[in-house]
Amino acid sequence: MALHLNLLHEEIREQRQRQRDPLKIGMMVLGTLSALMFLYYMWNAYQTLGIRNRLNAVQQNWSKVEPKVTAAQKRSAELNGIISTTKVLDGMIDSRFFWAPFLEKLSRCVALNAQITSIDGTVLDDNKGVSVMIEGLAAGREPRAAAEELRQLLLEQLGQSYHDVKVEFKTLEDLDTLVKIGGANMAMARFGLSASFNPSATVKAAPPPARTLKK
Amino acid sequence: MKNLILNLNLSKDQIQKLAVSTIGFVVLLYVYFSFFLGPLNKSRDSMLASINDLQSKVGSSKNEMTKATNLEKQASAATTRYAALTNLSPEGAPIAWFPPRMKIFFSNQQIDKTTARLESNIPYKEADLSGWMRYNWMLDLPQTDFSTLGKAVAELENTEPLLSINHINIHALADAPQFQQVSLSVATAILKR
Repeated sequence: MALHLNLLHEEIREQRQRQRDPLKIGMMVLGTLSALMFLYYMWNAYQTLGIRNRLNAVQQNWSKVEPKVTAAQKRSAELNGIISTTKVLDGMIDSRFFWAPFLEKLSRCVALNAQITSIDGTVLDDNKGVSVMIEGLAAGREPRAAAEELRQLLLEQLGQSYHDVKVEFKTLEDLDTLVKIGGANMAMARFGLSASFNPSATVKAAPPPARTLKK
Repeated sequence: MKNLILNLNLSKDQIQKLAVSTIGFVVLLYVYFSFFLGPLNKSRDSMLASINDLQSKVGSSKNEMTKATNLEKQASAATTRYAALTNLSPEGAPIAWFPPRMKIFFSNQQIDKTTARLESNIPYKEADLSGWMRYNWMLDLPQTDFSTLGKAVAELENTEPLLSINHINIHALADAPQFQQVSLSVATAILKR
């Protein structure tokens, strides 16, 4: 058997050791990982760039829309304000007490033998009601009856349009003076009437004609 | 771990190099995630959030504009009415234009020498009427007859919707009982100018 001497033993061992160098292997692993991570980073950066472009497009779109939206919101607020203000004003207008119809009713109640000398009417706060003081003179064979007739008539007339109607005498006194009506001397009485009613609660509507016919 | 290193038959120098490589790996990971991928993801997330936010804003803005358009159509009656009501309050101080307006109104109704005095002016309690003021006036009609007064009051109540008569006082003139002296306490809603 021939003697086999490996003179390169040390060199081969060193070469193997160099190949197995953990630092070198580690650097290679690190390099590979770094490359992979860099590629991943670049992919992410590319996606982010796409997102940025999308964001720019959306921002541009919003910058076009925003002034219109702001104007629309402002207009909406303004319109809502107008609607609510108009509603409140309409409420005020509708809840007013109209004196003209009252004066008309009052004029219908005054007969030839009566004269009203003073009317003092007040709408109570928050339209809770109306209070009227009426002063006048009544003449006739029985002037008190004439005054009472006026009170009854007023009560009836006001009751047709208003609620909770009260018409009461505050004063009723005979006068010594006589007045000539239709050539005859009549006695006189001075009266003071206090009327109060609620105009807001309207009188119930008359039943429909069909129902009336059935009755 | 120690057994593993012994099994691999590593020298001390190799172990040191392996440790340096491990540290390098950890440092690489830290730098990568902290200074590269982390900020990138953060910026991407914030951009995505901004996109969602803006898109929802754009979506809601379309609704908003549709609502405003519909409201404009619905409110046409109210705006016309409101314009009519505001036109009842001319420019300038009410004390300057209201008394002459009343004087002209009553003279057109055959009632002369009408005077109007400002009693008070107060703001409305209602929030919706913050732009309006309540003016209380005293109108004195020195001489009129009952039927003329009735017609004038009816006309006043019909033509001045923002005016309400709160108090009325009518009394016959002593020397001419067919005529009456009238005082009206009225309140008007007037737009602040």
